[in-house]
Amino acid sequence: MATHAAALNERRAPTAREVPHAVSPGLWTLAWRRLRADRVGMVSLVIVAAFIVMMILSASGLIAADWNREVGINYAPPSFLAGDVPAGAPAAPGASTPLATESAQPASQYKSNIVDPIGDVIAKLKGGKSEKGESQPGAAAPASSSAPAAAESSDESVDPLAAVMADIRAGKGVGAEAKPVERKATLPFGGDKWGRDVLKKTIKGSETSIFVGLAAAALATFLGTVFGALAGYFGKWVDDAFNWFYSVFSSIPYLLLILAVAAVLQQKGIMTIVLILGLTGWAGTFRLMRAEYLKHKAREYVQAADAIGASSTRRMFIHIFPNVSHVVLVQMSIYTVGFIKAEVILSFLGFGVPVDVVSWGSMLNEAQNELILGKWWQLVAAGTAMAVLVTAFSLFTDALRDALDPKLKGRVGA
Amino acid sequence: MRGWIAIVFSAALVCVSPHAPAADMTKVVRQVFPAAETGFDPAGVQDLYSATIEQALFETLLTYDYLARPSKLVPLTAESLPAITDNGKTYTLHVKKGIYFIDDPVFKVRKRELTAADYAYSLKRLIDPKIRSPWAWLVEGKIVGLDELAGQAKKTGKFDYDAKIPGLETPDRYTLVIRLKDTDYNLSYILAHEPTSAVAREVIEAYADTAGRAMANPVGTGAYRLQQWVRSSRVVLEANPGYRGFTWDFTSSDPADQKLIAEMKGKKMPQVGRVEVSIIEEDQARLLAFQSGELDLMDLGGPLAPNVLDAGKLKPEFAKKGIKLSRIIDPAIIYHYWNLQDPIVGGMSKDKIALRRAMAMAYNVDEEVKVVRNDQAIEAQYPIPPGVVGYDASYRSPVEHDVATANKLLDAFGYKKGADGWRNLPDGKPFTIRYASRPDSLGRQQDELWKKALDSIGIRMEVQKDKFPELLKLERQCKLMMRTASWIADWPDAENFMQLLYGPNTGQNNNACARIPEYDKLYEQSLRIPPGPARDKLYHEMTKIIEAYAPWRLDVLTYRNMLVSPRVEGYRKHPILHNEWAYIDIAPKGRGAAPATGSRGTPD
Amino acid sequence: MTAYIVRRLWQMIPTMLGVVVLVFVLFNWVGGDPAYVLAGKISNQEQIDNIRRQLGVDQPYYVQLGIFLKQIVTADFGASWSTNERVSHILLTRLGPSLTVLVPLTILSTLISIGLALAVAYVRGSLTDRLVMIVCTVGLSISILVYIIVFQYVFAYKLGWFPVQGWGDGFAQNLFVYASLPILIGLVVSIAPDLRLYRTFVLDEINQDYVRTARAKGLSENRIMWIHVLRNASIPIITNLMAGLPGLLLGSFLIERFFSIPGIGREVILAVERSDFPVIKAITVYVAFATILTNLLADLTYKAVDPRVQLK
Repeated sequence: MATHAAALNERRAPTAREVPHAVSPGLWTLAWRRLRADRVGMVSLVIVAAFIVMMILSASGLIAADWNREVGINYAPPSFLAGDVPAGAPAAPGASTPLATESAQPASQYKSNIVDPIGDVIAKLKGGKSEKGESQPGAAAPASSSAPAAAESSDESVDPLAAVMADIRAGKGVGAEAKPVERKATLPFGGDKWGRDVLKKTIKGSETSIFVGLAAAALATFLGTVFGALAGYFGKWVDDAFNWFYSVFSSIPYLLLILAVAAVLQQKGIMTIVLILGLTGWAGTFRLMRAEYLKHKAREYVQAADAIGASSTRRMFIHIFPNVSHVVLVQMSIYTVGFIKAEVILSFLGFGVPVDVVSWGSMLNEAQNELILGKWWQLVAAGTAMAVLVTAFSLFTDALRDALDPKLKGRVGA
Repeated sequence: MRGWIAIVFSAALVCVSPHAPAADMTKVVRQVFPAAETGFDPAGVQDLYSATIEQALFETLLTYDYLARPSKLVPLTAESLPAITDNGKTYTLHVKKGIYFIDDPVFKVRKRELTAADYAYSLKRLIDPKIRSPWAWLVEGKIVGLDELAGQAKKTGKFDYDAKIPGLETPDRYTLVIRLKDTDYNLSYILAHEPTSAVAREVIEAYADTAGRAMANPVGTGAYRLQQWVRSSRVVLEANPGYRGFTWDFTSSDPADQKLIAEMKGKKMPQVGRVEVSIIEEDQARLLAFQSGELDLMDLGGPLAPNVLDAGKLKPEFAKKGIKLSRIIDPAIIYHYWNLQDPIVGGMSKDKIALRRAMAMAYNVDEEVKVVRNDQAIEAQYPIPPGVVGYDASYRSPVEHDVATANKLLDAFGYKKGADGWRNLPDGKPFTIRYASRPDSLGRQQDELWKKALDSIGIRMEVQKDKFPELLKLERQCKLMMRTASWIADWPDAENFMQLLYGPNTGQNNNACARIPEYDKLYEQSLRIPPGPARDKLYHEMTKIIEAYAPWRLDVLTYRNMLVSPRVEGYRKHPILHNEWAYIDIAPKGRGAAPATGSRGTPD
Repeated sequence: MTAYIVRRLWQMIPTMLGVVVLVFVLFNWVGGDPAYVLAGKISNQEQIDNIRRQLGVDQPYYVQLGIFLKQIVTADFGASWSTNERVSHILLTRLGPSLTVLVPLTILSTLISIGLALAVAYVRGSLTDRLVMIVCTVGLSISILVYIIVFQYVFAYKLGWFPVQGWGDGFAQNLFVYASLPILIGLVVSIAPDLRLYRTFVLDEINQDYVRTARAKGLSENRIMWIHVLRNASIPIITNLMAGLPGLLLGSFLIERFFSIPGIGREVILAVERSDFPVIKAITVYVAFATILTNLLADLTYKAVDPRVQLK
C-alpha cells in the first residue's frame, strides 16, 4: 500500500510542476522530492517495487503458476551444485521389507462368505465383459439389489463394487497410464522434498507473504486509526472506553492472544492469518492516532470546519485525516515488515497458510529439519528472499518517514 | 527435598541391605523423549512417556520376555503365569514372597512387603470414579462385582476399597484370584500392562491430590526409583538399592541376537545405576544432541531418518563410530477413516461406498512412505500389525493406488464434474471433503498428500485444523468427516485392533463411527474363541468387510528406529515394553567402541 | 504523587476485569474440552461426564467465571488438568530457567545497545553510522527461526562451542554452559532493534539546548555524551525496557523449545496443546498483572527521573 501511495505521488508530482500557478508544493510533493534525494531510500523502493511486481505477476499466474508441479527428484540439489552431488542422490527406498518382497497373493487364504453390497458393480468394472459406457453405471449401481452378482466374483464376493471395478480395470490399460513424468535431477535452486522447484516456490511464497503483510498491516492500521480517531476526537467516556479496551488488549500476552484468536477463527485460508495479525496488532497505531487526533481537534482548521457545520465524521475523516495520514502510512509500513516476519512464527505454531498455498513461513518451517539433512537450499532461498524484502522495506520506511517528517531526519527506529 | 530424603534413606540402605546391589551408580544411560511426561501414578497417566518411566518404577504381575519374538508373557512379581480355569473366567496368581517397596516415610514399618492385596487395590483404583483413570476400560464390565462397587461409589462419592467382592479375592497374603463375568483370554495381557502395576494403598492415601492420584510420589517395587524430576524437562532415576535383581539369561533363535547374548549372559541385573531422561521437542535439537554424544538412546523419528539411515541401515559414518541401530516395526497401525455417520462420506448405500473407495484408491501410500515417512514405514496390508497375535504376513490388501479406476468408479456412480471442474454428488449438489488434522508438520504433509489425491479425482478438499483435544472431542461425537488415526497395541493381541470398528464402540474408539452388522457379528464370535486358526479366519472375513465398505483406508506400519550409543551393551528394542534399562549394560571406558562423547560427527 | 499512584492502582481493577473476561471468553470458547483426552483411549459418556464434573466445566458459565475470579483473588489457580500439579508450583519452577536466560540477556543487550548507540550517535551521519544502521536493518530482517536453526547447527553442533541443548541443576552451570548460546541468539535478535531505537533517543538528547550549553561551557565531548546525554536518554530507554519485559517471558518460547529450557514460554505452548486451562489462565493473569504494574512503574520512573513530565 505504501508504495501505491508513493506511486500516486509520482504521478502527481509532475502535475505540480506543469501548473505554473500552483501556490506552493504540498506536503506530498515535498515528501516525494525529499525521498528522491535519498539514495538508500530509492534503492529500497526499487527493490520493494520489484518484489511487488513479482507478486503481481505471480498472482496473475504469469510466473510460478506451476510451482506445485513436481518437476525434479525429491530434494533435487541446485544446478550450480550439480557436480558435487552423486548422481543417484535419492537413495532408493527398499528398506528391505520382509513384507513387501513376497509376490501378490490372493487376498485371503480363507474362503469368504461376506456379502459385498456393490461387488457386482466392481466385478463388472474389473471384468469389462459386459457393456461399457454411460448406460451401464446408471443401471448397475442403484438398480442392483443387495444380492451380489455372484457369478463373476468368486473370491471377491465381499466386495460391493466388485462388478464395477472389474469393468473399469478392463477398460483402463490404454489412456490412463503410460506417461512416466521425467523428473529432473537438479533444479535452478534445488527442489523440496516433493521435488518442487524451490525458486518457483519462493516466488509464489512472496505473493502470499507480501499479501499477508500488506493486508494485515492495512487491517491493523485501519482499526488503530478508527479507534484512535474516535477516542482522540470525542474524548470523555469514548476515550475512556477505548483506553480501557486498549489496556486490556495490550495486557494479555501477545503469544496467548494469537493462539486464542487463531483458535477462534479456525483454519480457513490466508484471510485467517490476515485476521489473526490484524486483529491483534492495532494497539500501537491506536496510541499514536489518539494522540494525533487530540492534538488536531483543537486546531483552528477543525474549528473552522465546525463553524461551517461539518459533521463529526466529516471532520474526523475528511478534515483531520489527511493531516495525519503520513503517520498512518509510516505505521502501515512498519506493520508490514513486522507481519511478514510474524507469519513465520504463525507457521511454526501450526496456524500458517492452508495446504495448497505456499508462503515463506511455510517454507522456513519445512526447511527446519532440512538443514541437518544437508539440504540447505530451501532455508536459504526463503530466508534470503525474506531478508532482502524486509530490509528494503524497512529502509524504505525510514526514508519515507524522513521524507514525510523532515524534523525526524536522521532518526530511525521506534 | 524428596531427593534429600531419598539420599538419606539410600545411604542407610546401602549399609544394611542384604541384597548386594548389582547396579553401578557410575553407569549412566541417557535417553530422550520427544514430548513431555505428565506424572507417575499408574492409574492416572496415559501417555507413552510417563508409562515408560513408570515401567521402571513399578511392577506388574506379568511382563514380557526380553528377547522372545513374538512377544511372550513371563511372570514378573508372580510366581508363574496365571492358572486359567473355568473356561477362561477365573485367573489365579501367586505373588512372589520377599518383594519390598522402596522405603518411604509413609511406611510405619521399616520394610513394606508386596502382597496380593496391593494388586487387588491397584485394579480397583482403575475404576474409582474419583480417580477418573483413563484406564477404566481395562477392567470395566469384566470383573465380577467391581462395576457394582464403582456404581455405589458414584452415589456415595467414596469408593469402598475394603468391600469384599467375589471378582477380586485374596485367600492368603500372596494369592490373588480374579473372577470374570465372561470368558476372556486376554486378561493375562492386562496384568502385564503398566496401569495394573502394584501401588501401596498407604502411599496413595498419603500423597493423593484432589483427584486421589499420587502423580509425583511414585513408590513401587521396580528396579529404579525416582531421584529427580524437573517436569517436562528431565527425569532422573537411580537403581533401587533394595531391588531383588535377576540374572541375565534370555535366549533367542535370532542370529542377530547372539552377540548381545554373549555380551550379557550371566550378568547380575540391573547394571545401569542411573537413568537420565531429557525431553527435547524439536527434531533438530534431538538429533544434534545425539550426534554430539549427549544421549545414549534415542527414538529416531521419521523426519530425521534420512540423515542417519540408508535403506534401513545406519550410514557408514555412524556405523564407524560404533553407533548401533535397533529397528522394529511398531505393533501399531495407521489408518485413514471416514465417518460412516457423515451425510456426505458416510452411509452404506453403494454410491457412498463407491465414493469412499474411490478416495481410498486415489491416496498414494507409496508416496507417503517415501516422502512423508522417509522410508521409515511400509504399506499396511492387514488391520493387525506384525508382532501381534493374529497377524498374517502373507495377506495382501486388494486396495491399491489406482487413480484411473477411482475416477471411473466415481463416473460410474454419477459423481459428475461440474462446470468448475470439481465433481458434484450424484444429485448434482456440490460437495467438499473436510480432512481433519493437527497443526503440526506431519499433519501438514498428510494434508498435502490428501489434497493431491483428491485433486487427482476431481474432489474438492479443505483442511480442518484443530488441536488434538478438540479433534478428539469432535471425533467421539462423530462430527469429523475424515481423519488419519493410529492405534498402538496395548497388548499383542488382534482383538485390541479389531475392536476399533465394533459398532457399540462408537463414541469410544470406533472413530469411523461404523456400525456394520456383519462385522459386529463376526467380532462377537471372535471373542469367544481362543487365538488360533478359527479366530484368524474370522479376522480375515472382517478384513474383507473393511476393504469392501471402506470405513478405513489402511495406511502404513511404521518402523521404530532406536539409535544406541556405542557405550550401551545388550540393547534390543522390545515391541511392547517401553523401556529396556534393566536389561542393558554400559561398557566400561575403553571397552567396545570409543565413547561417543567428544567425537563429533560430521554429517555430509 | 501518592494520589496519582492510588488512582493508577484503582484503574487497574477495570483493566484486570477486562483481561479476565476476555481470557475467559476466548479460552472457554475455543479452549477445547480436555475431558475426551483425559478419559483415555477407550471411554464412555459416563466417564467423560464424570471428568467434566470434576474439572467443573459442566457448571454454568457465570459460576465458572466466579470461580476464576475467586482463584485470582486467592492467587490459587488449583491444579493442572493434565498433570494435577499445582499451578503455582508449575509457574514457580518454570520461572527460574526463563529468568536465567532473560535477565543476563536483557542486561547485556541493553548495555551493548546503549554503548553502540552512543558510539554511532557520536559519529552520526558518517558512513560508519549509516553502515551500522543498515547492518542492523538486515539483522532485523532475518527470521528468528532462521537464527536459531543455523546457530544451533553451526555453533553447537559443527563447531562444538556450546552444548546442543539441555538444562542442568546448578545455576552457574545453566548460566554459563546451557544458557550461553540461547543468550547469544537473543542478543543477535534484540540488539538490532534496540540499537536503532536507542540511537534515536540519544539523537533526541543531542539536539537539546542543554547539550549546546554544555558545549559552550567547554565540557569535553566525552563528558557530554557519557554523563549528560546518557543520563537523559536513559529515561526513555528504561521505560521502554520495562514495558517489554513481561512480554519477553513468553516471547522466548522458540528458544526454550529448541534448547530444551524448562521455561514459561515452553510451558504455555504445552498448556495450549493440552487444553490445560488452569495453567493458561494463571499465566495470562500473572503476565497481564505484571504488564500493568511495569507500565505504572515505568511512568513513575519517568516522573522520578524527569520532573518535567506531567502525570495526568
